[in-house]
Parts: sequence; C-alpha cells; structure tokens
Amino acid sequence: MDNFMNLNIFAKSQNEAFARSVVAAFCASLNPTIDEINDIKTAVSEAVTNCIVHAYDHNDEGLISITAKLIGNVVHIAIADEGVGIEDIEKARQPFFTTRSDDEDRSGLGFTVMETFMDTLEVKPNGEKGLVVTMSKAINSDK
Amino acid sequence: MKIIHKAVGSTLYVGLCGELDESTSFTTRAALDKLIEDLDKTKLVLDMSALKFMDSTGIGVLLGRYKKLKARGVTMLIASPTPTVDKLLSLSGIYEIMPKIV
Repeated sequence: MDNFMNLNIFAKSQNEAFARSVVAAFCASLNPTIDEINDIKTAVSEAVTNCIVHAYDHNDEGLISITAKLIGNVVHIAIADEGVGIEDIEKARQPFFTTRSDDEDRSGLGFTVMETFMDTLEVKPNGEKGLVVTMSKAINSDK
Repeated sequence: MKIIHKAVGSTLYVGLCGELDESTSFTTRAALDKLIEDLDKTKLVLDMSALKFMDSTGIGVLLGRYKKLKARGVTMLIASPTPTVDKLLSLSGIYEIMPKIV
C-alpha cells in the first residue's frame, strides 16, 4: 500500500462537501484529470448521502467512516456506517429504486452513479450493523 | 447556493451558483418553488454554467420542479451545464424531459 487515510465524521449533510474534498485531495498525488477527480467526488458524495438519508435517517450523531488507500495508480475507497442497513442490496442497486418514494428529492440513482463513475463497486453489510460501500478507480489508466 | 433570476419576454432564466447536494437541496428547492409559485411565464431556463458540483440529490430536486412546472404548462430547459454536471444529467436521462440548450 502506497498511502492510507481515514476520516470519521458525523452524518451531517454539511460534512458532504468536506468529505468529498478530502478524498479528492488525498488522490491528488496520482495526478488525476479533472474528470477523474470529479467522478470520485461525485461517488463519495453519493455514498455519504446514502449514510445520512438512509442509514441514519438524518440522525446527525451517526458516524460515517471513510477510508481511502492508494495502491499503484488505483484509489480504493470504503465508506461505512452503522445504520439500519439494506434488506435487499441487489434490489437497492437497481436504477431508480428508492425506499423514499414519498420524498420527491430522491432520484434512486445513488448506486447507479457510483457504479458508473467508478471502476468497481461493492455493497456489503458492515458486520451486524450498517453497510460498507467499497469502490475503486484507476487513475491515469489511459495515459 | 446562490440563485439568481431574470425574466426576458415569456422566459424566466434562473441561475444556480454553487454546489447542489444534500446540504443545499432544501434551500434550493424552497427558492425554486417560490419562483415557480410566482411564475407568469411559459418557459423556465435553468442556467447551470455556475453550478460547480451536483450529485443525484440534485436530479431529485430537478424532477420535483419539473413536475410542478409541467402541471402549470411551463416548459423547463437546462442551459450550459459544466462537464461534470452534464455527465450526471446525461446518465439520469433527464434531458428527455427537460432538453439541454447551449
């Protein structure tokens, strides 16, 4: 492993911009393109939003753990919560699926965006409580 | 998030300046809804040239506003999104219902 970081934050929406900026800055040593850095920022934002809205239902004392590793030219990011988890993960990963159909601000595209903007995406239970979203992206892979 | 607007003829131009995510969605939605409530135009153009960041929460905000405008017979268009926002909007398929203009 070439480098490692861990950030623990409360599940407050005002921490979203902070979290995505920290991960983006951490990846800077790989000299990513603007497109690559924006893809990572968007994916991190989606994962953190899921923690805030779904895992903790806006209980802003919930904890979100963000871990990032640089291995070669690949960034590996894990975003974990200890919230309610997801009963059917495969179903939740379908485009436009949302448990908040009463809330018009939910597009149900969070996992689809993470999957599209990153190279890999894995969604698993976090032990007995919560969820871990693990994703990776190769930087400068086409240069 | 800063929201500016200007009426020209039958069109209301609305500019979004800043970042649209979970933390700014509530105030953005409220501000847009206020503009829609007072709207006496037939077209609303959302200028996204100064929107530096948006995640899928923003897609939800746009869809909600689209429904309100459609119910009032108002056409909604998106203008000049930045490349990163454009990528997300394209992925969502939202241009099918609110076309992009340059």
